[in-house]
This record gives sequence, structure tokens and C-alpha cells, in this order.
Amino acid sequence: MTREYEAVYIFDSALEDTAITDKLTKHHALLKAAQAPTLDIWGRRQLAYKIGRHENGFYIVARFAAVPETLPEFERSLKLDDGVVRYLITLYEHELGAPALTEEQLAARARAAAEEDEDDEEE
Amino acid sequence: MRKQKKVCPITEAGIRFVDYKDDRFLSRFITENGKILPSRLSGVDARHQRQLAVAIKRARYLALLPYTKGHTA
Repeated sequence: MTREYEAVYIFDSALEDTAITDKLTKHHALLKAAQAPTLDIWGRRQLAYKIGRHENGFYIVARFAAVPETLPEFERSLKLDDGVVRYLITLYEHELGAPALTEEQLAARARAAAEEDEDDEEE
Repeated sequence: MRKQKKVCPITEAGIRFVDYKDDRFLSRFITENGKILPSRLSGVDARHQRQLAVAIKRARYLALLPYTKGHTA
């Protein structure tokens, strides 16, 4: 069974852009995913605090579906890679559960809250 | 004087899942020193406060938010 994951990587900002994408495709190959991960490349940005000698990082967000058994191997290769300053893999949960509230539901909720306020004033 | 009823700012914004990657949004719910703002001050409802706490902690790990002030890179 595959599950949806989301991963954020912070690469060493001193690396070339091509070197980073090369590394990433190499790591992602370990997932043996049927579909290539969707990437959201944020690029270089300043870290909120220093991590070792790093003050900047190259951020990439990836979303992929993978079999959980492939993750330990994937994480191991990330840990061994000196170019990866930090990474975080989370379950992508936005697709689960009920859909977001519609405009109508929000309006109904606001009405209910307004009525409740009126009741309070009568007391 | 009657206390004004607080409306959860996250519910009001129509957000169902608090995103740990949105550091600008999360920064509204931390103090100047970087602490997580208690829901009694921010008016966030319990469900969103739980999500918010996890999101802020993830964002801190990813250096999107500071753990505390005075550690700027």
C-alpha cells in the first residue's frame, strides 16, 4: 500500500542548482515511486537561526506516493548526504478527512454565532 | 462589562489544516521571543491550537521560525 508523503529538504546553499537537482533525483530513485514526485522549489532563503556554519539554505518541497518500506533506505541516503542540511518527511494529510468548509457553511456558522450573541444580551 | 466573544482567527480564515510551511501565517501565533501564543490570548479554538503547536514545532525544526530570539543567522 502506498501513502502520500510530503518532504522538505534544506540543501547547502553553496551547491550549484544542477548539483542539487541531481542529488534529489538520485535520492528519489530509492523510493521506487510509480510517479515522479511533484517538486516545489523555493530556492535560497535565510535560515531563522544558524545550523552549524550555514546561514542560508536551498529549500525544496516534494510530494510523493511511496510504499512505507522504502522510507528507511531513503532516509539513510539523505542522512549520509553532506549536501542535505536538514530534511523533514511528513504524511501528507490534506487529502484526508472531510473537505474544507464551503462558503455557505461559513456563512451559516457566522449567523449562528450572531444569534448566540443576541441571546446573551437578553440575559 | 461583558467580555467580548473571541472568534477563532484560523476558523475565520477558512483554514482546515494548519500548514507548517507557511511561516508568515504561523508567525502571527508566536510571541516576540518565539514562544507559542496561548489560545486564551489568541482566541484559537482547541482543535486548531493543537494543529498550530505541531506546525510551529515543525517550522522551527526547518529553520522557518526561530526557537528563540537572538539566534538569527
